[in-house]
Amino acid sequence: MNITYNLPAIGTQLVLGAGVILVLLADLLTGKKNRDVAYQTTLTVLVLAGIICVMKWGSAGAGFGGQVFGDGFASFFNLAFLAIAFLVVFNSPNYLKRNEIDHGEYYMLILIAVLGMTFMSSAGDLLIFFLGLETMSISLYVLAGFHKSRARSNESSLKYLLLGAFFTGFLLYGIALIYGQVGSTNLADITSYLAGSANPLGGYMGVGLALLLVGLLFKMAVVPFHFWSPDVYDGAPTPVTAFMSAAPKAAAFAAALRIFYDPAISLGLPWDKTLWIAAALTITLGNFAALAQSSIKRMLAYSSITHAGYLMIGLAAGNELGASGMLYYLFTYGFMNVGAFTIAWLVNRRGEGNYLLSDFAQLGSRNPVMALLMSIFMLSLTGIPPLAGFFGKLYVFSAGVKAGLIWLVVIAVLNSVVSVFYYLRVMVIMYMREEEGLKDLEKAPTVAITAILCGLVILLLGLFPGPLLDLARESVLSLL
Amino acid sequence: MIDILIQAIFWLFVVLTVGSAIVVVFSKRIIYSAFALLFTLIGVAGLYVFLAADFLAASQMLIYVGGILTLIIFGVFLTAKIYGMTIPDQAHQRYLALLPVAGFAAVLIHVLFSADWNLLQSTAEPTTENLGKLLLTTYLVPFEVASVLLLAALIGAMRISRPREEDDDR
Repeated sequence: MNITYNLPAIGTQLVLGAGVILVLLADLLTGKKNRDVAYQTTLTVLVLAGIICVMKWGSAGAGFGGQVFGDGFASFFNLAFLAIAFLVVFNSPNYLKRNEIDHGEYYMLILIAVLGMTFMSSAGDLLIFFLGLETMSISLYVLAGFHKSRARSNESSLKYLLLGAFFTGFLLYGIALIYGQVGSTNLADITSYLAGSANPLGGYMGVGLALLLVGLLFKMAVVPFHFWSPDVYDGAPTPVTAFMSAAPKAAAFAAALRIFYDPAISLGLPWDKTLWIAAALTITLGNFAALAQSSIKRMLAYSSITHAGYLMIGLAAGNELGASGMLYYLFTYGFMNVGAFTIAWLVNRRGEGNYLLSDFAQLGSRNPVMALLMSIFMLSLTGIPPLAGFFGKLYVFSAGVKAGLIWLVVIAVLNSVVSVFYYLRVMVIMYMREEEGLKDLEKAPTVAITAILCGLVILLLGLFPGPLLDLARESVLSLL
Repeated sequence: MIDILIQAIFWLFVVLTVGSAIVVVFSKRIIYSAFALLFTLIGVAGLYVFLAADFLAASQMLIYVGGILTLIIFGVFLTAKIYGMTIPDQAHQRYLALLPVAGFAAVLIHVLFSADWNLLQSTAEPTTENLGKLLLTTYLVPFEVASVLLLAALIGAMRISRPREEDDDR
């Protein structure tokens, strides 16, 4: 038994794993009415993991016999997960206290979810990928139902759990069939089997890969596996929604790229067409459903379905530009969503379950800074230059054109035009609508800092997209 | 003669597994379903033995039959009026649902009969020792990730099952 362990390959995960135990103990010892220690420990752990991630950027290589990779691709996504988690945790106490759900488990479950995601992005083996996915999902099921005295939160958790378990069945069945054909769950073995076989999709390989893809599409909330996401996003506590709409989606796309992205092998896979249709349906359906929403939370939920559709174009294109565009897109999309959701719950005045767009009325005069930031997030989600959202779309769309998916890109561009309507509606309400009985916003420094940070990141990455795109390209190259 | 006997026992387990699984799904009373599940799980353990997976069969008996199922049956016993409770089984769009289900079943059955299965030509030998070694060498990372997963499930279950918010103050 000769196996090189290479612990640096899972440096980030080790810090997070130790952090989980630390937060658990810290909260046990200091808990009672005071969650500050758990909160601060969590933030420290996330920062430490981020430092390790940056220090070991792409240099750690394969570990544990090729089961995990500490390559640039993993580092890129891990940094994105950690940044999103940091921003969400940073402004959470305010929300948790307001809703009287200030419990230490919250921080621990977020850390465990991030740990699961980091294993998904660095998986070199379907076994690790599956365990990472389940670790992430189980934490999210609980987090979605964290507000347990609210029926909507329970509904959200239960729907997510039941459907998630159902699709996990498909995913696991797929992995089992692939293992049956290849005799290994290692991605490198699977790739060399596919490259070396005369009929790569014969036997049960084709069905196995298709089922695996179905499981992933569910986590990405791509049509026709999207039906859970509006209810789950709407019912979950809002910081959790912000987290769920950004990080797990990125993790699912990271895993999809790890498993399916390999331009060297042209298999003529039947799902080139399948992905095409799924992407077109996802973009269109998400968009038109978002038009009809009066709740900002549901609107953003449907908009996140649409964005998953845009990202699918990069996956369907299957070229290097598409993959690196997706990395750029996912990284910046996280900041837009966290920012938008954060402001949404600060502005909300009817309590959970009643997030109305009309709460944003007169925000332009009540709190010009927040209104400006919300405008930045909305414009960036629309894809207006020079914000980061524009470049994400640009790269993914041009990858689609390069791969000959002209009609898909045309559909996507037309839908982007439609999406201007519901994103700009928020701005119209903020600056032009008059409404009675509106109070000033509550003073919440952590929330303001989060929103400002998100806004700055989007603005800077939009004005100077070069460095991040170069980094994304390097990361994708490390995948091969 | 011995072959016929083995075949007979195999099919006995198959009938036991599938037959009681059908009872689990279609029974109107939850207590019947719970007990039928017992036989399904035992049947699956028997099938594992036929696959020479001795450790898997033993853990199936210990964990599912001995642990989880006992919990379920006690849960049913201790819940008041559970015997008279009928499970609502008014499925919507029952016939529409038949379409994708039948399609998926057709694909799986096609795969089952068309693929050539890699049969291992080895004699059955105890697997427990090798499994133990592999879990702490080659599969160390999956083993540890699985334990974090269980920790998350444990904490999450406690968080959700506590009766009231006020009781949360330790």
